[in-house]
Amino acid sequence: MAVMLTKFESKSNRVKGLAFHPTQPLLAAALHNGSVQLWNYRMGVLVDRFEEHEGPVRGVAIHPSRALLVTGGDDYKIKVWDIRPQNRRCLFTLHGHLDYVRTVQFHHEMPWILSASDDQTIRIWNSTSRNCIAILTGHSHYVMSAQFHPTQDLVVSASMDQTVRVWDISGLRKGSPNAGGPSGMGGGNSGPGNFETFDSFTTVKYVLEGHDRGVNFATFHPTLPLIISAADDRLIKLWRMSENRAYEVDSYRGHFNNVSSSLFHPKHELVVSCGEDKTVRVWDLGKRTVIQTFRRENDRFWVLAAHPNLNLFAAGHDSGLIVFKLERERPAFSVHQDTLYYVRDKYVRAFDFASGSDIGLLSVRKFGSPYMPPRTLSFNPAERAVLLTISSDNGLYELTMLPQQAQGELKDSSVDGKKGNGQSAIFVARNRSAVLNKTNQLIEVRDLSNTTVKTINAPVQTNEIFYGGTACLILSSPTSVVLYDIQQQKTIAEINSPPVKYVVWSADGQLVALMSKHTITVANRTFSQHSLIHETIRIKSGAWDDSGVFIYSTLNHVKYCLSQGDHGVICTLDNPVYLTRVKGRTIHCLDRSARPRTITFDPTEYRFKLALLRNNYEEMLYIIKTSTLMGQSIIAYLQQKGFPEIALHFVQDANTRFELALECGNLEVAMETAKAIDRPECWEKLAQQALKQGNHKVVEKAYQMTKNFDKLSFLYLATGSTDKLSKMQKIADARGDPMSRFHNALYAGDIEGRIAVLRDVGLYPLAYLTAKANELEELAAEILEAANLTEADIDDIPNIGRSTLKPPPIVTSTTNLNWPVAPTKENFFDKALVDGTLEGIEPSAYTNGDAGAGAASSALDAWAREEEIHEELINTEEGGWDLDADGGDFQSALDEEEHEVVDDELGAGASPGVSETDLWVRNSPLAVDHVAAGSFETAMQLLNRQFGVVNFALLKPLFLSIYRSSHVYISPVASLPPLQVHVRRNPSESAPSRVLPVAARTLQSIRAELTEGYRFVSGNKLSEAQETFRSVLHSLLLVVLSSDEEAKLWRDTVTTAREYLLGVSIELERRRVAEAEPDNTKRNLELAAYFTHCQLQPPHLQIALRSAIGAFSKANNQAHAARFARRLLDLNPDPKIAAQARQRIAAGDRNPRNAVDISYDEHTAFEVCAVSYTPIYKGSPSVRCPYADSVYLPQYQGMLDPLTQLTEIGAAASGLPAAW
Amino acid sequence: MESAQLYHVKQQFILGAYKTLIDMELPDKSSSDHIPMLLYKARASIALNDPQGALDLLPDDVDNVSVRAVAALAKYVAATETTEGDAALEELRDLAVEIEGEDVDGDERDKALVRVLAGTAFARAGEVEEALETLGTETEDLEAVAVIVQVYLSINRPDLAKKQFDRSKKWAEDDLLLQLIESSMGIVTGKDGYTNASAFYTEQLANPSLTSPHLLTARGIIRILRNETQEARSDLEEALERQKEDSEALAALTVVAGLGIHKKQEAEELWKRLTIEHPDHPLVIDVQRKNDVFDEVMSKYIVPPLAVA
Repeated sequence: MAVMLTKFESKSNRVKGLAFHPTQPLLAAALHNGSVQLWNYRMGVLVDRFEEHEGPVRGVAIHPSRALLVTGGDDYKIKVWDIRPQNRRCLFTLHGHLDYVRTVQFHHEMPWILSASDDQTIRIWNSTSRNCIAILTGHSHYVMSAQFHPTQDLVVSASMDQTVRVWDISGLRKGSPNAGGPSGMGGGNSGPGNFETFDSFTTVKYVLEGHDRGVNFATFHPTLPLIISAADDRLIKLWRMSENRAYEVDSYRGHFNNVSSSLFHPKHELVVSCGEDKTVRVWDLGKRTVIQTFRRENDRFWVLAAHPNLNLFAAGHDSGLIVFKLERERPAFSVHQDTLYYVRDKYVRAFDFASGSDIGLLSVRKFGSPYMPPRTLSFNPAERAVLLTISSDNGLYELTMLPQQAQGELKDSSVDGKKGNGQSAIFVARNRSAVLNKTNQLIEVRDLSNTTVKTINAPVQTNEIFYGGTACLILSSPTSVVLYDIQQQKTIAEINSPPVKYVVWSADGQLVALMSKHTITVANRTFSQHSLIHETIRIKSGAWDDSGVFIYSTLNHVKYCLSQGDHGVICTLDNPVYLTRVKGRTIHCLDRSARPRTITFDPTEYRFKLALLRNNYEEMLYIIKTSTLMGQSIIAYLQQKGFPEIALHFVQDANTRFELALECGNLEVAMETAKAIDRPECWEKLAQQALKQGNHKVVEKAYQMTKNFDKLSFLYLATGSTDKLSKMQKIADARGDPMSRFHNALYAGDIEGRIAVLRDVGLYPLAYLTAKANELEELAAEILEAANLTEADIDDIPNIGRSTLKPPPIVTSTTNLNWPVAPTKENFFDKALVDGTLEGIEPSAYTNGDAGAGAASSALDAWAREEEIHEELINTEEGGWDLDADGGDFQSALDEEEHEVVDDELGAGASPGVSETDLWVRNSPLAVDHVAAGSFETAMQLLNRQFGVVNFALLKPLFLSIYRSSHVYISPVASLPPLQVHVRRNPSESAPSRVLPVAARTLQSIRAELTEGYRFVSGNKLSEAQETFRSVLHSLLLVVLSSDEEAKLWRDTVTTAREYLLGVSIELERRRVAEAEPDNTKRNLELAAYFTHCQLQPPHLQIALRSAIGAFSKANNQAHAARFARRLLDLNPDPKIAAQARQRIAAGDRNPRNAVDISYDEHTAFEVCAVSYTPIYKGSPSVRCPYADSVYLPQYQGMLDPLTQLTEIGAAASGLPAAW
Repeated sequence: MESAQLYHVKQQFILGAYKTLIDMELPDKSSSDHIPMLLYKARASIALNDPQGALDLLPDDVDNVSVRAVAALAKYVAATETTEGDAALEELRDLAVEIEGEDVDGDERDKALVRVLAGTAFARAGEVEEALETLGTETEDLEAVAVIVQVYLSINRPDLAKKQFDRSKKWAEDDLLLQLIESSMGIVTGKDGYTNASAFYTEQLANPSLTSPHLLTARGIIRILRNETQEARSDLEEALERQKEDSEALAALTVVAGLGIHKKQEAEELWKRLTIEHPDHPLVIDVQRKNDVFDEVMSKYIVPPLAVA
């Protein structure tokens, strides 16, 4: 136990009392200044303060099941508080003690409160009746503490009188006169005078003497009949109770000042104590030895509290409090495929996610400190080994093989485990582990036998190392995280980050989450892209969903995070968990006691966001259709992200729908919802929006609904809707609104109407003038008359010309048309939701199938799309390799197949798809790929066009063996005909436009064969050599090439093989001549000379030269022989051979003559015809082999090439196509 | 819920441990597991191409539809003449119709099995349409899905196979057979699919409760697909060692040998052995067919006389 892990600290006045809330992360602290604080230690915030006591508060307790707090202070008062935030107040105060109250406590089931006081009494109060129901007297000094037994009717008290007493309170339960309730007592008036009456209900059971100073605290063991006490004699004493007696068992020595408090660890065999010597100490219960000491500089410790269920303690000191853990609870674990390897109770266990089986595999009890669990576990699936680290002993690691099967007796790691010192150790490869030594900053790479094979100096201050992908490490430094290549020993990338504590790789190894206390950095494999998430709450763990969503847990939440940094809450947690695996709707995790648990959750929200992010509308639609609950948040999210039209589909609430519809300009929906809402402001907004879009029909409706007659009329004018205008006139008449009537008359060009309005309102002058201006003389006269005037009265009016005012003519009858709107975006959702054609849409798998399938399904989805791209590809390629006839076929095949895709969605019976072999044929211009695909016909066409091959019989074994090796058969299902699967060249490729068959023969393997041919040459097995070189040339026709370099090498190989084949053939011919026509020396010499002109490698050329030297000197052609000897010398032969050569040269010099005249002019460049074996000098006519480029005399044009025996001499050929 | 023993048997059947099943002791006739286990045993016989063995096992006096269906399938597989085969197919067709009726001797599971067996036989006969129809693309029987998926894969429709798979994922939980289906699809689609399939078989090989050379063969084949020829070879050789008459392993080994460097001789020897021992293996038949195709295509080219001096 090297570390005490502080989880929370506060600064305050001296803390004298502490109490944990049993279920929530709350801690009550009683302070010396009279305040009682309620802390949320998980969030680190002060939740509440209770300040009614006068003077220091020493006792505090929280009710085990109700929201109640009890406190006792130096004001002799005991107060009970309601701690619910909405209801917080002091419920009541218990009066009775005559001196300081030291401790208070609620009973676990009865409504009792226990208090201990300096007035030498212990009192038990009924919190319902608020009466004192028992006073326990007997102590002869201050009672420093009193505690109920966790299950039995016992109380243990500690006193300054140096004793610890155990009291039997079972009498109280049986029927105390006052226990029944408040009846008769009338308001908690329990005066100090009346306690003698119930004294008989409680008795002292044991008096424990042994301390020689005052005892500060005593408490029971949660399960065993033990008591622990802490006293001013600097000792902690352990006492045992039996049926009828209690006795001291042991003392724990170590504190060098008063011990304030001591507690049993609720789960382990440990004792925790604190004292005025400024230490908190942890003891082994049985061995009585200090395991750990935690010291503070200046603060004396006064009080300790243990959480009833969790591994949490709190200690109060002079200037505040600390909350701490005694051990890390994060279990060491590692996930491999469907199995979780983890450590619980110092056993390595395997949990199968699929079957739920959970078995122990290995004991690690002897590894490091027995009190400490291992810190990390790294699993090596290849070797089935685990690598554990532990923090004790300054950091240890141990590498152990897991047994293949769980046996009865579990193997202990100490048997064959390989150990060493190191703070961090992980597997980095199948047979390599890396161990970090923090002090000297060395990372040692070790093999499975624990031998160091490499040592790396950490490039940055490294605190922890993690697996970084193949041959890489992730180094966590205080300010950054580094991706480090072990092979090259160099830093690949570095990201600034707070210290990274955990690293989680996604299943496909493409993404990694680097987790530190408050941040998560999601990076890609090379750290070249990353995004950061910040959390205010401590981040605990994380796991990747199959679709590439990172799910992580904080102290109190499970959250998700998308690759672009969007994150949100999935669910809340009562207690932290450690996520191990996320599969579908299930989160697998380990709880604090390292037990596998699962949490079922609804991934809809993040799946939806992911789908949105990836524009996967099918998936979104599916979610919309099937998920029942979509919160308001998703709508806000959509709106905020600019997808109001999608949000629209979620909203039921008319107001929101209306707003959204307006935002995305969906007038139809807006109209519908406006009708439902039917409020003027809605109609106005709708009218505005519709006006913008030029949809006057909607505008009209909106104006009508709001009775906006003016605007309506004007709208009718604007749209040229004359009949509507006249209707408006009538309405105006009916309404008796002269202004409106006038307007409408004006708009409608109704002069009589206008005059009538003017007359009606008594504006005779205007009426008259209007009539006049429109040459309505009769009417004018009538008005004049009505106004009691005559023409004479108004003769001063200037003559008014004819009015030109009239409604504008209607150019386009807009009335019947709406303004054309840009073609509405073909909204996938509208269509699908309206048509209800969801059946056609396949939900992309279950929950996280979306992209888990992502990779796989995208290949399938891409199917259709790639088909199109494909077409182009083929077209361009065709030009290149000139396959007009086939090209047409491909095209039509493609068309047909596209039709099929459309058809087959309908029925159950499906038409066959494109077979892989067809794809191969399409994707490659190389004959060999066509052979592998079994398309022998096209393969032969290609060979014929590219290399002029005509004689295919010789290639048959090659064709068949290549075809044979490109397909395998497998029967996954019983009795069905086996599946034919096709072996691909590049297994990491699955796009239909790029798949290609496996390369049955590689250039390398053929070159190996070539070497074999060389050996035959050296070994003078010429006919075998001839066979071999020919076969090499055959094989080279059917080899896969993938780059320019390879193509060059291929060409070189072809040339070399051809030269050797030619050379060997010449030599064989020479031997034949020598045998058949021994007299034909001329021919013999000629052939020997030509042989030396084949491009052979020096050792073989030496053979040719030596053989020529021999033949020529024998024939007494000394001059030639000397020349061959000179060439031989140039090759730096063996000294012995060199000596012979020099002799030959000397002989030639002595006698520079040639006895036999041969056709051999070595001074002019020539090539040898491979049929006649005669020289073709430079510039002379010749024909060539379209494949091997060997040379022939023109008369052999059109005949079968004797070297390869495949091609037609002189045939036109396009040569090797570039397929890469 | 089936008993542990039956579950185990089923698992073995799914993973191709046919040999173990054939050697299996059947429980007492009164046991409720008797018939289901008998059926698996018989089907294992058929899978190993020993339909007669299956027929010998099956009682003739039982009316249970699934027993009759297994017998019919055995007869179909055993048939050497087309007429016999047709008769067996007809029988399966009748059974498939019969189970739709009211008065059937057998529960839902039996009916599902009848469909699976009928589908298998139709698929064998090349009646893809009929097979799919009989199995029903909406079925919730995972065995049927397995057959459907393989049928789809065999006609190069991995897209439809995937649909079936996705559909069944919803209700089949993480059944072993579902994983097998997924891995079969992976074998065909490739890329990550290979990894998945490889992991599946590796995992199953590590499964301590059963041994099946079929798993080794399958992994070897996947390794071929992943271009890991050395590893594939070792898997296949081991599989062949365990089960000499495993045509699939032998065929796959022939394939690997052809891919190796300089193993011409060995490849030819293996090929010869395959053609002799398993003349009916589809690889043999296919290559034979290609042989003929070659000759036919070759004849289109006129070979000029060899140039001689």
